[in-house]
Amino acid sequence: MDNEAILRKYKRRQRLIDILPVVALAALFAILVITVQSKGYRLDMYLKIIFNEGVVLAVVATGAVFIYTLGSFDISLGASTLFSATLGVMTYNATESLALMILVIFGVAVGCSLLSSVLASMFHIPVFVTTVAMMSVLSAIAAQIITTNGGALGGISIPSALVKPLDNMGFKIAVLAVFWLLCFFVFDFTKIGRKQKFLGGNPVCAQLTGIQVNKYAIIAFVMAGIGVGLGAFLTLIYTPSVTATTAGSIGMNILVAIVFGGMPISGGPRSRIYSALVGGFSYILLNNILKLLIDSNVGYGVSQIVSAVFFLAVVYVTSLNYRSQTLPR
Amino acid sequence: MKTPILEMKHIRKTFASTVALGDVDLSVYPGEIRGLIGENGSGKSTISSIAAGMQKADSGEMLYHGEAWDPDSMIEALSKGIGMIVQESGTIQGVSVAENLFLGETKQFPGKLGTIDRKAMNAKADEALQAIGVKNVSGATPMGALDFQTRKLVEIAKVVMKDPEILVVDETTTALSQEGRSILYALMKKLRDEGKAVLFISHDLDEIMEVCDTLTVLRDGAIIRHFTKDGFDADAIRTSMIGRELEGDYYRSDYTPSHLEEIAVRAEHISLGEALQDVSITVHKGEIVGIGGLSHCGMHPLGKILFGAVRPDSGQVVTGGGVKITGEAVAMKENFGYVSKDRDVESLSLSASIRDNIAIAGMEQYAVNNFLMLSSREKVYVDRQIADLSIKCADRDQQVSQLSGGNKQKVVFGKWIGRGSEVLILDCPTRGVDIGVKRAMYQLMTELKNEGKSIVMISEEMPELMGMSDRLIIMKDGKITHEFARSASLSDAEIIQYMI
Repeated sequence: MDNEAILRKYKRRQRLIDILPVVALAALFAILVITVQSKGYRLDMYLKIIFNEGVVLAVVATGAVFIYTLGSFDISLGASTLFSATLGVMTYNATESLALMILVIFGVAVGCSLLSSVLASMFHIPVFVTTVAMMSVLSAIAAQIITTNGGALGGISIPSALVKPLDNMGFKIAVLAVFWLLCFFVFDFTKIGRKQKFLGGNPVCAQLTGIQVNKYAIIAFVMAGIGVGLGAFLTLIYTPSVTATTAGSIGMNILVAIVFGGMPISGGPRSRIYSALVGGFSYILLNNILKLLIDSNVGYGVSQIVSAVFFLAVVYVTSLNYRSQTLPR
Repeated sequence: MKTPILEMKHIRKTFASTVALGDVDLSVYPGEIRGLIGENGSGKSTISSIAAGMQKADSGEMLYHGEAWDPDSMIEALSKGIGMIVQESGTIQGVSVAENLFLGETKQFPGKLGTIDRKAMNAKADEALQAIGVKNVSGATPMGALDFQTRKLVEIAKVVMKDPEILVVDETTTALSQEGRSILYALMKKLRDEGKAVLFISHDLDEIMEVCDTLTVLRDGAIIRHFTKDGFDADAIRTSMIGRELEGDYYRSDYTPSHLEEIAVRAEHISLGEALQDVSITVHKGEIVGIGGLSHCGMHPLGKILFGAVRPDSGQVVTGGGVKITGEAVAMKENFGYVSKDRDVESLSLSASIRDNIAIAGMEQYAVNNFLMLSSREKVYVDRQIADLSIKCADRDQQVSQLSGGNKQKVVFGKWIGRGSEVLILDCPTRGVDIGVKRAMYQLMTELKNEGKSIVMISEEMPELMGMSDRLIIMKDGKITHEFARSASLSDAEIIQYMI
């Protein structure tokens, strides 16, 4: 085979790898449709559930891509979502102001995110360590507020009529689209996104290329914070009450979703903003398909195992691809 | 005719879109030091790394002592008799020297309750290091505390203590000082005299002609010619390597020191721990200032301080315009560029493309309003660097890790030159690059000097320092010991007395 043929083959393979997550999403969607219809369930109901779960995950994950691109990891995103929603609800109940509630949700979400990165920068520790601590602290405070003000099971809530007009697909798609396009623009068309990708690839080299590590880490956490704020708000629109378990699994789900979407787990220059969108919906589709296919008594455990196996397979395939491209040094 | 220890037949290997080896045959005989020489990307490292178990060939056959040879790993290959010292870092930081030496073999030092007897392991490590002539490093020393050269010596000890039948030395000498090289040459000769073999890869033709008994020239993944010692001819070897006659000057052709009056940068009374003591230098516009010395003389940290990457304990770096260099971002703003000696770690993001690596430093050159990144403008910018520097690649989106050492270094140059750096700090700029690329880099440096740019060239290679510098500063033990002006009569002997 001549060099041109090898190059063509290589490029074909790369293109295939790039579109694989989208193909997987389409395949999962087709499997869901077939499964629901074969069981005689209502497809529109399932699609609505998947959309409502997927939109929150996709929004938070889109913001989180900025953190993952740096090769970092934030496990506190679920707790931040819960905490900001809790304080949002408390604010509304105290002031009856929707605007103030939204302001508090975003302020708290961005503040929590910033705190993680600033603490990491101040104490020179990996940022994921501070997010582990933040997860515990935020969950505990939120749970205490919820238990004290509304009870552990019932939780705290805002009047459903307040957000009912926003609980429709059009509004949610608009929110997701605007935020995703903003992130896409920052990520792919500004110096900020380019520097963050480079920083994730090799922080030492990035620093020696004049990229200020702390500055770009803070920007990444602010973007993630905005995603968390939007996620918390969308959660309240869907279910206007908050319990101690609200958004509990988002932190880990984001990691899995982003990898499903084709983003390398180590971040860096091959990070893609669409990974959050594609991976978020793929993950929710996969979970719902597994719930439909597997007996409900054992369903949760089995679907977690299947997701884990799928996750490992995706990470293995992507890392295998990288290793085979490296000349000996 | 002796029977070869190792026979490699019809070896073929591709990396993604790159054909690294196409149908290569190579035999290694007992009692020989066989040199492998060729331009970057010719396939030297690939063929030797396949023999040493680092990776598998796509096709072909290998025989070791007449039996099929197909090691699954470098550890397996070493345990059976073929050991390799790799081009870049082959040690693990974060653990001790002894743990590096006995990686995967700590069971031979059983302690109490299933633990490791570290005292015994460290003592054995000390023995192994002393056996190859490394006296100032202990087994208990953390690997991260050692510099690049000493880490390489530890790596050499690790391979040699296994008493390999074939030792592969892949461009290791560029990381070593003269003392380190002497240690390695002695080891290689010892192995040869014992009827074993060495595969020696280097870009230094003088070194390879001095050390080797036989020589194999590779080009573009194929073997071009074999030479024996009595037929060594520098011109014939060069021509075989690059497939054409080298044209033009290698180093600068003039011997008159020259520069503009204007000062580009001044380092004033710089001190840094024991590495640097009250060092002051001034670099003018249009001047190449060479800094030389032994590896530990302080010149490498000085390069980082000039770029603001390391804060000195005292003293300051100031531009001709009076701006203090307090960090890398300030240095970049003042149009400084820095090429590190540790290319793969400090100068490149290996998982990124050529485009990403070149474009990252020059965004203000092509971004709209210094903010908006348009792919079309970026491509033009990157393609210009690829063309100007003749970077051998499939396309701009090729991953840098797929490139050979010389082409990687060209990408690093492209990154800094493309953005129009006025002051270039080059730490060992030609380390691990072939003769053709070296020549291109020297010509580029001369062009930059003529354009009024300033270059600080830190190097452990005397010929290039003498051949390129307007002024040559020699350092020893963190201090400047002498300064030479450019002259045709300057000799190695004159300089070395101020280094040692």
